[in-house]
Amino acid sequence: MLEIQGLDVFYGDVQAVWDISLHVDEGSIVALVGANGAGKSTLLKTISGIIPAKRGTILFSGKSLTNLPPQDIVDIGISHVPEGRRLFSNLTVLENLKLGAYTSRARKNIAQSLARAYDLFPVLRNRRNQKAGSLSGGEQQMLAIARAMMSRPSILMLDEPSLGLSPILVRTMFELITNLNRQKMTILLVEQNIHQALKIADQAYVLKNGKITMTGGGGELLSNPEVQKAYIGSRWSRQ
Amino acid sequence: MLEILNLNVIIQLLINGILFGTMYGIAAIGLSLIFGTMRIMFLAQGSMIILFAYICYWLFALLGLDPYISLFLIVLLGLFFGAGIYKGLFKGAAAEEDKNISLLIAVGLMFLIENLMTVFWTANPRSISTGYTSLVFRPVGIGIPFTRLMGFILAIVTTAGVILFLKKTFIGIAVRAAAEDMEAVTLLGINPHKVNSVAFAVGTGLAGVAGVELATIYPFDPFFGFIFVLKAVIALAIGGMGSVFGALMGGIILGLLESLASFFIGGGWADAVSYGVFLLILMFKPEGLFVRSVKKA
Repeated sequence: MLEIQGLDVFYGDVQAVWDISLHVDEGSIVALVGANGAGKSTLLKTISGIIPAKRGTILFSGKSLTNLPPQDIVDIGISHVPEGRRLFSNLTVLENLKLGAYTSRARKNIAQSLARAYDLFPVLRNRRNQKAGSLSGGEQQMLAIARAMMSRPSILMLDEPSLGLSPILVRTMFELITNLNRQKMTILLVEQNIHQALKIADQAYVLKNGKITMTGGGGELLSNPEVQKAYIGSRWSRQ
Repeated sequence: MLEILNLNVIIQLLINGILFGTMYGIAAIGLSLIFGTMRIMFLAQGSMIILFAYICYWLFALLGLDPYISLFLIVLLGLFFGAGIYKGLFKGAAAEEDKNISLLIAVGLMFLIENLMTVFWTANPRSISTGYTSLVFRPVGIGIPFTRLMGFILAIVTTAGVILFLKKTFIGIAVRAAAEDMEAVTLLGINPHKVNSVAFAVGTGLAGVAGVELATIYPFDPFFGFIFVLKAVIALAIGGMGSVFGALMGGIILGLLESLASFFIGGGWADAVSYGVFLLILMFKPEGLFVRSVKKA
């Protein structure tokens, strides 16, 4: 579904992503894991069209996304939940959701998408006229995901969805992601919570300094001693 | 008798201040919208207002068009003009996310408009004199000039219109969202250039309203624009960034202050008082009087 070949991305003069190739199959969960600054968020932003690619190609269902403006990429069916949620805190929950359905394709189905968002997250229905800034951390993450789904994407890119959530909420969040996936949503997940991410991923890529250092099935990487030593350690193994 | 006279004078001053202040308020709302999405003070706003005042003057002097009729034309012109200058002048700098360049373009535009106006209309003050220019209502002995009352009503209607636009339309909600986080807006599939150009269009449309208001009330010359935009910035500081109603209230408060200061302290002091208030607000309540700070999500 999503096919990336030989991607190089620069931040000014600094290269952040080096010759990355990866693919995301329809209906799967693909995890990008690695330490802070490994280039994971940069990769997502490049797919979204926020940062231009220097070299390489990004294909989505055979169509090239390289150098398309972000609005076209959303319209094609790729939705990006950015790191830190990036909600509009002075806007109401409903206004945040509405903006998610801005593209013309999504706007036609707005009533249906809203109903689906409220079904998925009933708490948002109750709080729809509240300002987004007044929600709790978990509710905000739900709103961020719901907002991204308003554009009716076929692939959802989640950047650190568990960031800043309590351990219980982290578990809920990962359950939610698996649930979305069961409803046929393809998911590209960026996580620093490597243990949890690998547990639910069909396919995973380990990034280090902007390069892919390892790849394999989620369970496969989880039991890989090298991954355990470098990224998981004893602190995470019990979670 | 003297007591009553004083009371009347004070009421008169208050009314004049409020009516004049709405003009600052309208200009401030425009600045606030453009600042929200572009993150620059659109310093050419004042000169735009004067330009529209001159266009209003021309439509009146050459075609005999009543200012309140040409208002509709001028606002329409303002909307197109705003979208046009964004596309022509600011789009490139906005794409580079370089605020310094945008700010310099705004300053350059201000000088360009100022000097073009001097070429076209000379530096002599102009004013519009219609049948109702000196019409004054006197309910209970307090004089309310018709043109100022109209200006006040225009300002209220315009502010309500802008608030409705920002709350009820998709693109209006996007303009408010962009004031918080333009990248997040972009990630939702909203073209940032469209948001910017709408903010510009509405901002200069508002300059059209203020321009007509000014033209019907006061004599103006090409260089009044810079002072005007400074006053709008002060109104914005008083009212607080990002609140349309606050910007209007900031303008009204500033108008009141100037009106009272020039009567009680002396005409030359009006400006000193407004800049003094500007400093005090920046020192003690930099978020403005009408903005509740909401913590960032």
